[in-house]
Amino acid sequence: MKTIDFFINGTEISITCSPSKTLLDVLREDAGLTGSKECCGKGECGSCTVSLNGLPVCSCLLLAGQVHGQNIVTVEGIGTPENMDPIQQAFIDEGATQCGYCTPGLIVSARSYLNSIGHLPGLDEIKQALGGNLCRCTGYTKILKAVQTAAQRLLTFREL
Amino acid sequence: MYVSDIDMLSPRSLQECLYLLENEKASFRLLAGGTDAVVRMKEGKWQHDCWLNLKNIDELKFIAIEKDEIHIGPLTTHQEIISSPLLRDHADVLVQACREVGAAQMQNMGTIGGNIGTASPAGDTIPALFVLGAIIELTSLTGKRHICAEDFFIGPGKTVAFPNEIITKISFKIRGKHDLGIFQKLGPRKAQSISIVNVAISLSMKEGTRECTGGRIAFGSVGPVVLRAKKCEAMLALGELSPDMIANISRVAWKEVMPISDIRASASYRRDMASALLERGLYRLMKRWADDERKPF
Repeated sequence: MKTIDFFINGTEISITCSPSKTLLDVLREDAGLTGSKECCGKGECGSCTVSLNGLPVCSCLLLAGQVHGQNIVTVEGIGTPENMDPIQQAFIDEGATQCGYCTPGLIVSARSYLNSIGHLPGLDEIKQALGGNLCRCTGYTKILKAVQTAAQRLLTFREL
Repeated sequence: MYVSDIDMLSPRSLQECLYLLENEKASFRLLAGGTDAVVRMKEGKWQHDCWLNLKNIDELKFIAIEKDEIHIGPLTTHQEIISSPLLRDHADVLVQACREVGAAQMQNMGTIGGNIGTASPAGDTIPALFVLGAIIELTSLTGKRHICAEDFFIGPGKTVAFPNEIITKISFKIRGKHDLGIFQKLGPRKAQSISIVNVAISLSMKEGTRECTGGRIAFGSVGPVVLRAKKCEAMLALGELSPDMIANISRVAWKEVMPISDIRASASYRRDMASALLERGLYRLMKRWADDERKPF
């Protein structure tokens, strides 16, 4: 057992657990943030994606001991139901979700990607950026469309 | 041994880490990015007492140029390699290989040192390091060793490194103006896949011709370790790299690789694909050469 201090969605949090527990389990069991989902557990599917210091990573492969002092943002930190992020709003508007299991991961990946660029991304670029996220319900057309819509809105917002 | 029983130590400096490796009695596993190590822990393959978390050792994260040599720290992530302008200019075969490693999530976590230490025959950066002629530096509390990338791997998951040593530097010479390189990979999925076959090629061209003065070809995932295709390399310098010549070289590659059948592909499929990837890679390189996009590699 070890005490691990780190930031979740901007709030400092101190958790006592085994350092070999995955960050995903810490988030879901200890921090009560059940937005991030476990699916494959080996970094194939991206359902557990969280942002570590601004970069998307698989929280199922990150151990609690490794995040000491780091900054984690989960899907809960991107927006709330009352105050939604443009990317979340775009997912709703475009109907880019079906069962919803992959959606939190996709939103974190898409948000980190949009943060890292300053132009309107093409379809191929979005595909490349979301390559690590699998959706098994439906095609990716609406998801890609949603990311494009969000990028458009964010750029318009920035220009204002 | 339950996963929850595994402890973790996070040294802050290289010296501290080497001291722990030398003196701790518990069984250790090194943890760099964790993209491979954590999966093995979850599968129950690794039953060790303690993780040695290397992520906090900042002195092992660097990309530097010194005279005509490039030095890369083993904890440099794939993403850092992809976005390095220095490596894009001087080692584009390595940048291409890192781009093929997993997807964004893996590239942000996985490190080049971890890829080398895991020593998977399918590791994507390893063929690129072979054709760059990389030298790997191993450090222990008592000294340093410099080992050529080709002599570093002795089997799947096995390297010449002793338990008390860690990789501290990867270095290679800057390439000449007429050198160019390419990395080709075949996987079941575009992102996030383990290679069925991969190949790294580097060629030194003679200016203004299609003749090659020499080159290196390394195949991954077609043998117990990554292997150099020496016979194919010898054929590169025989004459102009015409379409016929390229077809001949790739036919030799079919015989030179020695794959096995496993869950990812059968041996005969791998042979065919190794030859096809080499042919495609050489065509693309010649096309790039002809297009006069001669970037220093």
